[in-house]
Parts: sequence; C-alpha cells; structure tokens
Amino acid sequence: MTAESRKKPAVPAAKRKRSLKVRLQWLADHVRNEWQIYLMLLPTIIWFLVFLYKPMYGLQIAFKDYSIFRGVAASPWIGLEHFETLFSNDQFLRAVSNTIKISALNLLFGFPAPIILALMFNEILHATYKRTAQTIVYLPHFISSVIIAGIVITAFSPSVGIVNTILGWFGIDSIYFLTKPEWFRPIFVGTGIWQEAGFGSIVFLAAIAGVNPSLYESAVVDGASRWQMMWRITLPSILPTIIIMLIIRIGNIMEVSFELIILLYQPATYSTADVVNTFVYRQGLQSGQYDFAAAAGLFNAVVAFVLVMVANTLSRRYSRTSLW
Amino acid sequence: MAGVRLESVFKAYGDVQVVHGIDLQVHEQEFVVLVGPSGCGKSTTLRMIAGLEEITDGELFIDNRLMNRVAPKDRDVAMVFQNYALYPHLNVADNIAFGLRIRRTPKADIEKSVTDVAAILGLTEYLDRRPADLSGGQRQRVAMGRAIVRHPKVFLFDEPLSNLDAKLRTQMRAEIKRLHKRLGATSVYVTHDQVEAMTLADRIVVMNDGIIAQVGTPMELFRNPADTFVAGFIGSPPMNQLKGNVSATEAGYQVKVDEAVFTLPDNVPVETGQPVVVGVRPEHLALQSDAASSEVPISLDLVETLGSEALLHATLGEQPLIIKADTHGDLSHLSDITRVYAPTSLLKVFDAETGRALEERSAS
Repeated sequence: MTAESRKKPAVPAAKRKRSLKVRLQWLADHVRNEWQIYLMLLPTIIWFLVFLYKPMYGLQIAFKDYSIFRGVAASPWIGLEHFETLFSNDQFLRAVSNTIKISALNLLFGFPAPIILALMFNEILHATYKRTAQTIVYLPHFISSVIIAGIVITAFSPSVGIVNTILGWFGIDSIYFLTKPEWFRPIFVGTGIWQEAGFGSIVFLAAIAGVNPSLYESAVVDGASRWQMMWRITLPSILPTIIIMLIIRIGNIMEVSFELIILLYQPATYSTADVVNTFVYRQGLQSGQYDFAAAAGLFNAVVAFVLVMVANTLSRRYSRTSLW
Repeated sequence: MAGVRLESVFKAYGDVQVVHGIDLQVHEQEFVVLVGPSGCGKSTTLRMIAGLEEITDGELFIDNRLMNRVAPKDRDVAMVFQNYALYPHLNVADNIAFGLRIRRTPKADIEKSVTDVAAILGLTEYLDRRPADLSGGQRQRVAMGRAIVRHPKVFLFDEPLSNLDAKLRTQMRAEIKRLHKRLGATSVYVTHDQVEAMTLADRIVVMNDGIIAQVGTPMELFRNPADTFVAGFIGSPPMNQLKGNVSATEAGYQVKVDEAVFTLPDNVPVETGQPVVVGVRPEHLALQSDAASSEVPISLDLVETLGSEALLHATLGEQPLIIKADTHGDLSHLSDITRVYAPTSLLKVFDAETGRALEERSAS
C-alpha cells in the first residue's frame, strides 16, 4: 500500500463513475458556452492530429520489411532487425555522436546567450537605443535558413568572405572553413546563436517584465547596485522560466536544426556534421530505405522523450518548477 | 533619529504637475501620516523622501542635510511597501538580512540582528519559510523587519496595510503603533484610510490635489477641519454638509436649510445673505432636544445597524444627512424618528464658495 492510498479513503466505484459523468457534463456545458474559444483551438488540434498523431501510425514500419507496393499494413513484421542493423552501422553511430556533441555545444553556448541578451536589454535605459538594439538582434530569426546559409557560406568564403579578408589583414592564409570538419561545429553553433539568441531573449524579457518593480525599489533603498539587483533579484526571479526553457531545450536535444545542416554540410564535413536527422533524410528519402530510416527516427524520438521526462522529474524534485 | 523637512517641494511628470509646493516638517521621533484620496500626491511625496522620485523643485532635508541629490541608499531611510516587496526566492531570514548583506555587514552581526528583529516581530519560527508560505500579516511583518533591521534614521510606509483584510489591518495597526513606541523612530506613513491615520498619527497631513489641505493632530482635524474637503475626509461617516444662506435674527445668525433652522455659534464671521455650508458630525446629531440645539426635521430612508450603534440615512429636503445613534441593543426606537437635534456649539460653518472654514473670532 502506498503512502498516498493510506491517507485517502477509497472512493467507491459508483462515486468515481458519477464524478466522471459530472466532469463530462461540465465539459459539454463548457464547450457549449465557450464554443468560440474551442473553435480557435481547433486549427491547432487538427495540426497536431494530422502532422504528429496520424504519422505515428507509420512508425510501425520501423518493425516491418516495408514495401511501398504492399503498404504499411500488409508489409511483414521483422521485429527489431532494423534496430540491429542500425546499431551496427558506423554512420548511424557517428550521427548519434555528432548530434550529442552539437547539442551539447548548443546547450552550453546557445542556451545562456538569450538569457544574457535579455539581462543586457533590461539594463539599457535609453528607450530608443533599446528598441533599435532589440530589432537588430531579432531580425535574423525572420530570415529563411536558406538565406542564412547563403550568408554564412559567403562570409566564410576563402576568396570573398569577410572572415578570410580580416584574417588576411593579419597575414593569415585563407581557410576554406566549410570544408574543414573541425570548423563545422563552431560555425554551426555560432550561426544558430546569431540567428536565434535575439528572438529567444523575448521569453526571458517577458519574464523580467513580470518581476514586481517594488522589489527593485526596495533594493535601491537598501543600497543595492544595478549589478547586485541583476544577480540577486532579476536572475532568481526568472529562474522558473529558465528551467522550463531548459527542459524544453533538453527535449529537443536530438533535434539539431536539420535544414541548416543540410544547407551547410558536404561530404567533406560529414565526419563532424552528419546528425541523426540528416542520416534519416539520406537513408529514407535519398536511398528509399523508409523502414530503416523510420527505425532511426523512432530511436531519436524515444531518446528525446526519455530526456525530457528525466529533466522534468529532476527539475520538479530540486527546483519545484516543472512542465507538468 | 532625525527629522524630515520639505520646503516648497514640487513634482511634475512632463507638463503634469502632481505636487504643488509642499512645506512640511516632520519632527524627530514623530509619526506623521499623509492621508488623502487616490492621486492626491501623498505616495509621490513619500517616494521623493525615499529618493525613488526626483524632486522637480524645492528642497528636502533629512537630519538637516539637503537630500535632493543624494542617492536613496545614502539617505539612511527604510521603506515598507504596499505589496510587501519581499523576494520570493529568499526565505524570511534572508529577506530580513538582504539590506545588511548588500551593505556587507559582518555575518555574525547579520545573524544577531535578524534574530533580534524576528523576536520583536514574532517571526522566529518562520525564519526558514519563503514568502509564499506566509499569511498576509506575516509577510507584512517580514517587510517591516527588513526595514527595522537596518536601524535607519527615518521609516517610510507606503500604504502597508492596504492588502490586508479588515481584521488583520486592525491587528497590524496596533502592532505598528506598539513598534513605533518601542523604537521611537521618525516615521512617515501614507494611507488613504482615515481610520489608520486617526489611530496611528501623532500628526496627520491631509493632502488633496497635490497640496496640503491641513496639518494637525487627529483631534484638531476632527474638531476643526480647515475646509469642507478635510471635514468630508476625516471622520467616519464623514461630516454632514448642508448648504444654506445666512440670515440675521434677534437670537443671532441663523442658516435655514429646507425646514431646519440652524442657529450658528456666536462670533462666526458671517454676513446676512452669505451662502455657507453648515457642517455637523453624524455622532453630534442627538435624538433628544437640548437647550442650545437646533431642531432638524428629517425624512428617514434607511437604518444601517453596526451593533452598538446604527447609522440613520435620512434627507433634509434634498440634502442627504447621516446620523450616528446608539442602539442600546434595540432598533425599534430608531425606525420612526422624524427629527434630530444639532448642538449649536458643535456646528462648523464653511464658506460655500471657497469651502474654507469660517473660524470663530475669539470674544474680546
């Protein structure tokens, strides 16, 4: 018997049923009264059903010898054969390793960047200067990944790129950065920060805006400097938001920006650039091994699910903040 | 401890002027309450003393030192905020110690000060709790603890009891009063609640539209309001104000309001025909006739019971009138009242145009 069940007297089954009936009735009434709100919710629910839940049906091909002609249902079951092949495939193992390394770098440098930006914006007192700075750093988020990749390729070009031009001023020979495996990850992570840190700071700025202004006034009267207020008031006050964002980020750890990698990598940099998603893309769409790619994708999703569960549980236990 | 002095202090936000040249002296160890309706400039005045708002014009002195350009942290004031301003991520002990830590006070001294303050405020058993786990009254005590622990020259209170329920407010009011007696600290307290002002203040400053309407002890303000605004603001329920014109009779000056004829006290500087406002407090209207009182025929609308007392809502002609009467445990004698009596000696007379009190001239 658990401690929980010892505390609470058992609820009779009839009462449980009744309470379910009451709740369903309440829901029906609520939908009838607030149908406009539910109508607005509908597109999102449809999107989830069509793009996230319906494709789950196709996940079974990860355990089947799938043929387009036989279809999903008629393809024969082969158990974990694809997973066995997957884990003995060097390219897949390399892709998992690259995904983890790139994500770790992203987490290490990309996660604190918007927080630091938000704290810095919060310290800018001149309204016009603040607005201008914010607009400039938000802008890259709205540029298509294709254009971002074009900018990066041009910037790091050995002939006309600004980076190599600057290196040339110091007498350093041109480097063809995007063909060097050792440069791929720093360039990719740096690009991600440049593109998303500004926009990501909005969440933290909103959290900062929600901090009670009298906390700062009280601290001012107590003699706190701006630096002390940032460390002792702002940062602890937005900590729950930081933790929630961290949990979400950990859940997405296996989801490295697929488009940007596809646009920036080339066979010369596969050793450091190829991630699970690009591996799935190459195997599934380019080589037509849909079942094998589905197994790789499923592995990715399971790992992400476990990670987000663990992060949420740890956060709930140690910081009293959690997603659910 | 130190006094606070404001000399012709103005505050403007752009073109909007909110405080129009205030002169005020708060003496050492005095408890002064700034009271007035929302938007009268009382909180702005307090925030100017704290240094949270810049003074547009005029001078502020704390302990005889000009403070206009002095940073809040160097003014040696402590402020208690309406919403407590407690740090939600810190426990009670750390909240109280915050100001001392900022000032890099030695650890041992901080611990001793926090323990002492917690004992004074009855917070010892809550030192490990976070603000979210405290009741409203406990939170307000923590906020006061944070102010007390620094031993500032001046305490500033910005509507500290507004967020509490009526019962807790009464309790905390008494605690603040006791605390002030014990610490003897110079205090400036802002509230819109005249009951708080009356019970706590050594002196009350009534503010209206950015100016000081009157300064005085609670009883001075109650007995001799300087104008109709103060008369209406101080006292609960407020003073009845009845408009009429002065006429001269053999018995002296009188004011006829509908069917009632108020005989004015001697020596009130009025003229025949002058439009005035006769002020009479609800508790001064008697149910029994008195030799020196004016009969006031009323039309009773409503009886509000408060237990030992009742408020009779009535009209005199078109003008509303409230009477506060003892119930003696029974309401039956109040329901058929048709007339009350206003004692002449307790009537106040105000100029109808300016609203200023027409002071009695001392008999020569």
